[in-house]
Amino acid sequence: MARSATNERGGPRERDAPQIDGVGPADSADSSPPALAIDGVSKRFGDGDESVLAVDDVSLTVERGSVVGLLGPNGAGKTTLIKCALGIVLPDAGSVRVFGTDVGDGRRAAYADVDAMLEGARNDYWRLTVRENLRYFATISGVDPDSVASRHDRLLDRLDLADKADTPVRDLSRGMKQKVSLASVLAGGAELVFLDEPTLGLDVESARTLRTELRRLAVEEGLTIVVSSHDMTTIEAVCDRVVMMADGRIVADDTVEALLGGADRDVVRVASPDLDDRVVAGLRDRFDVVGFDADARPPAVEVVAGGGRLYDLTDALREAGVTPAAVRTLQPDLEDVFLDRTGTSPGGAPR
Amino acid sequence: MSADAPTADTPTAERPDTPTAEKPTADGSVADDAAEEPRPATYYHLARAVLYREYLIFVRYPANAIGGIVVSLFFFAALFFGGQLLAGQALTDSIEGIVVGYFLWTLSVGAYSSVSNDIGSEVQWGTLERHITTPFGFAPVALLKGVAKVVRTFLTSAVILAVMLLVTGTRLSLAPVTVVAVAGLAITSVLGLGFAAGGVTVLYKRIGNWLNLLQFGFVALISAPVFDLPWTRVLPLAHGSAMLQRAMVDGVRLWEFPLADLALLVAVAVGYLFGGYLVFHYATRRARRLGVLGDY
Repeated sequence: MARSATNERGGPRERDAPQIDGVGPADSADSSPPALAIDGVSKRFGDGDESVLAVDDVSLTVERGSVVGLLGPNGAGKTTLIKCALGIVLPDAGSVRVFGTDVGDGRRAAYADVDAMLEGARNDYWRLTVRENLRYFATISGVDPDSVASRHDRLLDRLDLADKADTPVRDLSRGMKQKVSLASVLAGGAELVFLDEPTLGLDVESARTLRTELRRLAVEEGLTIVVSSHDMTTIEAVCDRVVMMADGRIVADDTVEALLGGADRDVVRVASPDLDDRVVAGLRDRFDVVGFDADARPPAVEVVAGGGRLYDLTDALREAGVTPAAVRTLQPDLEDVFLDRTGTSPGGAPR
Repeated sequence: MSADAPTADTPTAERPDTPTAEKPTADGSVADDAAEEPRPATYYHLARAVLYREYLIFVRYPANAIGGIVVSLFFFAALFFGGQLLAGQALTDSIEGIVVGYFLWTLSVGAYSSVSNDIGSEVQWGTLERHITTPFGFAPVALLKGVAKVVRTFLTSAVILAVMLLVTGTRLSLAPVTVVAVAGLAITSVLGLGFAAGGVTVLYKRIGNWLNLLQFGFVALISAPVFDLPWTRVLPLAHGSAMLQRAMVDGVRLWEFPLADLALLVAVAVGYLFGGYLVFHYATRRARRLGVLGDY
């Protein structure tokens, strides 16, 4: 949906590749500029001692078609970075290019294929119906709504909103309002979409549905999505790549798999009535013991034992006369990675 | 799509990694895609979208308009009947001027408050930010909304005018082209003040409410002594008010006014509208610099 709209309108790719890269439009897609290129962006709010450095010299490139998560606690600078990318907040330093167009120079052209769903805002008109919102926001995004009417139907169908198409948004549940907000963002065929805390305030079921739809839309529509959240479940479920932020800076930037693989937290939890302080002390001499719960029934020990070390652990347990009652591997998650990197959880709680 | 959406709780199950965009679906959506090519929206489409939105809200939620009419008529009744008690014949002698002035005041208040309040609402809803990040920007949308507000205000003020004429038994010249042109240009300057107030509200949220009090200052502008103090003609409303009095009380038609009067009317309207828009533009730019746009 997004691509054809862009092509029809002579989208940023066609317009800007020659200016930015000095190459002709016949160049392959590989040489086309990334969807988003943030270079050395800084933003400070306030003056003097009271000032806050919200974003500190951040550089970030998002390739077309990728789904990137911005993970970090409240105040990490995620929303400010997104607003800087959108031009809603003007950065003190640095530059932002959207599909190769500098936001500062050609903002109008840059925003032909960009839209955003921002945290804590309605983002659409509650007194209009769902379909009226889609038509309105398609128009202001530069697309004649009559020409994408059936696509709007398909979007409503996918987001399970078809039955509510002619209902005023104010009469819908919170989860549905959030989906209408997403639909209105996609209505104009935006290729680059920013979603700031898209599941905030939703119940578990609504959040899960939204995550599923987000991922599906990203794949099927070929969208480039930047999702900001302090909710790791959302980031893990939706994103290919995770950018972790703390105190206005990027502290990690890699694929979900690489971040989890590098966490070095292949922990095995062994529960056995034979475990006691003496046995655990023996294990500590040979292994990295990360936890011992003597009060559990039966007592349980957590040992880092990835790969071949697992055999060593079972040998050691046998030598110590320990018969396991239960063995479980503990999978690392993004919260563990975030804790390792920052000492703070993405939800904001100190370690 | 919910029927075939994965519902398992694991992240893996939530990631339908197999692209399906090119696969035909049961409802033939791929065929639809091939047949449907998005066309670019022009300013005509933008105007249609903005005006239609204003129309929908006006007809779907008439309580606001009706409430405004009732409150305006209540104040006029208090003014008229209270004035009769206090001033007697003196009030009756000048009732034509009072009706015209009150008509222009309701128009002015309607245009001013709807624009300034609307900008405040758009900021609060996060929709102003979305307009800023579009190829059109907020400027044409704001101007079109202004036009819609003026049309809407004319409709409600026409009802108020009709009731005032009935209650007071006054007769006025109601040549539509003359009245709409003169009154419309007169309140265009107020529209500019509304944009400026909206801009200030974007920057300083709490001041916005106080700016609503400005509408009572319009009374002074409408009754400005333009003959004794000619410089007051460059203030918003003042010159237009004097012309509207001549048009509606004395029956002067639009083409019967001196060209200089008409030129000044247009100049004041365009000047304040442009000035108000500049204030709004710079206020939003400063809000973006300070990071307070949409920060409600």
